[in-house]
Amino acid sequence: MTGEWGIYIVLYFWLAAMGGGAFLIALGLRDERARRSGAFLAFIGIVIGALLLIVDLGQPTRFWHLLVGFHPVSVMWLGSAVLALSGLGLFLLLVMREWPGWLVWVTAILVLLVVGYTGVLLMATARPFWSGSPLMPWIFLASAYTTGAALLVLLGNREPGLHRISFNFALIEIVLVAAHLIWTYPLAKNAVQAALTGDLAWAFWGFVVLGVALPLYMEAQRRAASLAALLVLAGGFLLRYFIVYAGQTGVLRF
Amino acid sequence: MPKPNDYAILFDASHCTGCRACQVACKQWNDLPGEATVNTGSYENPPSLSSMTWLRIKYTEGVDRGEVFWDFTRDSCMHCSSAACVEACPTGAVNYREGGVVTVDQDWCIGCRNCVQACPYDAIHFDEEKGVVDKCTLCYDRVSNGLEPACVKACPTGALHSGRYADMKALAEQRLAALKGAGYDQANIYGLAEMGGTHVLYVLLKHPSAYGLPVGPVTEKRKVASGWLSAGIAAAVLGFAGARWIAERREEVGGER
Repeated sequence: MTGEWGIYIVLYFWLAAMGGGAFLIALGLRDERARRSGAFLAFIGIVIGALLLIVDLGQPTRFWHLLVGFHPVSVMWLGSAVLALSGLGLFLLLVMREWPGWLVWVTAILVLLVVGYTGVLLMATARPFWSGSPLMPWIFLASAYTTGAALLVLLGNREPGLHRISFNFALIEIVLVAAHLIWTYPLAKNAVQAALTGDLAWAFWGFVVLGVALPLYMEAQRRAASLAALLVLAGGFLLRYFIVYAGQTGVLRF
Repeated sequence: MPKPNDYAILFDASHCTGCRACQVACKQWNDLPGEATVNTGSYENPPSLSSMTWLRIKYTEGVDRGEVFWDFTRDSCMHCSSAACVEACPTGAVNYREGGVVTVDQDWCIGCRNCVQACPYDAIHFDEEKGVVDKCTLCYDRVSNGLEPACVKACPTGALHSGRYADMKALAEQRLAALKGAGYDQANIYGLAEMGGTHVLYVLLKHPSAYGLPVGPVTEKRKVASGWLSAGIAAAVLGFAGARWIAERREEVGGER
């Protein structure tokens, strides 16, 4: 068999980015309760994400090997370190009544690293669809903000800026994805074709139509904000699904 | 760069007949089972390396201006001096051993497969049953006891040689000069600069891309550095934009009220 990165990785990318994005955006809001719910969402996303990562290992009981060494060049090592530390930071914030400013800053940077390293992880591979352009971290960060804002809207936050965030980042995201496909096409024809017309077309076009175009339209019409937010979240999943699988299509297996 | 006394293998494409004795010897010495494969329309088999196939002969075949060509290369771990698998490994399980050999410590590997994604030669693979990765060891158990690697021992045509890195490099240069003298203008040595210098050197008759070898593969360190640079710029630009949009919208709404 292949040992490819599969559905657990997709789910982890999605959950960690969604929760992390919600926390980072909530920090920009003046609403104390939104910040707390953002921290809670990020904590849940990171804990479930970390469990998915452990289950995905060939040797799950050895996951602690990650935490006893020092391998800063390995994006996988750095990612697991910031994942563990950000989980700790968020936990402390959740149990504290007053948030110390320095802890908020440290945790915010750790969460930003969790969201951002996933793009670096894919860039630092020999898979041309992931490493052929420098846009992977951009796409994942933009999507983290889109889905994070949508998650806050879905949970009833009425901050007017959230809609603008979700709307603008969705636009940025679709431009980035288009740029990435064009950029990597000469190097990764198989992967781009799989996304546009092949096995992964359902995920790619699902992302474009249901995850971006339809919510953008609904947003512009100011209708059904909750449904639009839900679609954005589903789009975030489909985006990661086709990126993770398309990156591994060129790999010949038997 | 490899040290002069490191272990090394030289593959000379001009002597390879594609008999695959090396491929079979590798299976035998390392106790690797055969695999059920399908005919892909080529004599090449299996179509890729796996956790159970650490070495194979890659066939590049076709027709060029009416001339049939049938070229062979060795496809296996290159034992890089700046190995992507080692640098991608989050636990240190994949590492450099004595003499520049790259091997997997299977008692320490956690099975994250980051090395599988990182290797530019597709030479390290995940073993589903063991839950860890596996690959060519340069027959460390043999070479550390003064024997040749199994593939080299089995080669009947002199396409494979092994020994000290300095000797293999000298032999490669000697072969290159002979081939150039015989009219092979495109002959070249692959592996001197790639991935910090590889412990397996190739003498090729054509440009490396003609054999499907990665041309100028980027080291893992450089990929990671450019990845973090890109992520840093993205975080700054997108974060700044997001903060502005929230603030602007808040002012607009404040004004409306």
